[in-house]
Order: sequence, then C-alpha cells, then structure tokens
Amino acid sequence: MNTQNQNGYMLLFRGNDWLKNLSSEEKQKVTDQWMAWFRRLTNEGKAIAGNPLEREGKIVSGKNRVVSDGPFAESKEAIGGYFLLDVANFDDAVAIARECPGLPYGVQVEVRPVAAECPVASELKQKAQFANA
Amino acid sequence: MNTQNHNGYMLLYRSDEWYNKLSHAELQKLMNQNKAWIESLTAQGKAKPGRALERRGAIVSGSNGRFVIDGPFAESKEAIGGYLVLDVETMDEAISIAQTSPGLAYGGSIEVRPVADECPLDVRERELAREEQLATV
Repeated sequence: MNTQNQNGYMLLFRGNDWLKNLSSEEKQKVTDQWMAWFRRLTNEGKAIAGNPLEREGKIVSGKNRVVSDGPFAESKEAIGGYFLLDVANFDDAVAIARECPGLPYGVQVEVRPVAAECPVASELKQKAQFANA
Repeated sequence: MNTQNHNGYMLLYRSDEWYNKLSHAELQKLMNQNKAWIESLTAQGKAKPGRALERRGAIVSGSNGRFVIDGPFAESKEAIGGYLVLDVETMDEAISIAQTSPGLAYGGSIEVRPVADECPLDVRERELAREEQLATV
C-alpha cells in the first residue's frame, strides 16, 4: 500500500501494560527518546499534533447510551496516545511508526489514513450515484 | 469520576461498518443530525475539529518495527473510526456530550478519555524514582 493521502496519517499507540515491567532508568530513557522523537518530527514538519491520553476513561454505548468503565490501565489493546502526521504516503507513515521507541517493549503502532470526509458521507454519495444511474 | 481536566477529552468512535446496513434515507437523516450536532458543539466552543479515519491501515510492532501487518479494520466492532476532541472541563460533561451522539442509536460505542497534561511515562518515572528514594531512606 503506497497510496498518496493529502489528509495525512494517524499513529495510534496501543498497549498500556508494558510500562510496569520497566525500571526507573529504562522508563526515563524511553520517555526521553519518545519526546525527542516527537520534537524531531515536529521540527521536520512531519508531526502536526500529538497527545498522550490518561490511563482512565469511560465507554458510552448503544441505544440506551450506557456508561461503563473501560479497561484502559493494563490492557494490550488500549490506546495510550496518538500522533497526527503530515506525510503524503503510507510508506512514509509506516517508516515513522517503525521509529517508535516503545516498540522494543511491546507497544504496537496502528497506522491509519485520515479520511477526506466522513466514510458515512462517502457511502451516501455512492448510493446517490447508484440511484441516479 | 468528575475530575477537572483543562486539556480536554478525546472521544474515540469504535464501531464496525454499521452504516452499510442503513437505507439511503436513514443515512441521509443521520448525516444531517450528525452535522447539526457537531456544528452546535463547535458553536458553543466545546468541540475542536475531529477527523474520520479510513478503514484501512497497518499495525507496526516488534523491535525496530520489524512486523508490519495490514489491518482489517472494517469488520471489527472495536476498530476506531474517528475522533473528536472536546474542550470541556469535566468527565461528566464529556460523557453527557458523548451520550448525545446521533450515531449511537445504530450501534458502536464511544470511548471517552481525558487528554493527559504530560506523558504518563513521565508520571510513572517520577513515581518509581520516589519509590526508590523511599527504599533507600
């Protein structure tokens, strides 16, 4: 997949359980590396936003809009933060994802193209086209 | 949980492609509701621009990112379809807003997460440093 995408790419960092096995020194090292990585990408104009998320939160779901606790603290799948990248193709985004300092410790980086418009809107247009054909 | 948080809250939309099951009319109605919902939140200064994510992508893992797997995100109920950042002060308000999302009536869920003031790595590092300090006293 090497499609051009002028809307950029999102990196979602998954896994919140890897930290607990690190020593204080290792943790400091990864933190410094991560911060330096983000600063470099920002200076190069490749990262336009990024935020860590707290290890807590809620999930709202269904017709009845039920609120429940999420397993955010020690989950392999939970999202710990994100970067928004301003790069033009998928390969560049994956190359940046591969630099993530958390990877050796088990972090997974999800690389997703940002959509030009809501996928629901695209779906609607396709249906309209089909209806008019 | 009603903690104050001046960094705002992130809504992560999780769902499969439920919208493929809707009729054109239903979809049109939902789109209009959704647009009005976001416009109203933006006008009140409560939402910053969000983004939708395409249903394709990859997962990078392992040392030096040696595993790159194309992700099938479309069918998964857990897949993230997009996000919105809310500029509100409390978890309760963020949850109330999430509950008014028009799409929820059709399935899926919304994860509500406080945006961190600083990286949790830093916080954890300080905790460990403190523990070590106490241990040596």
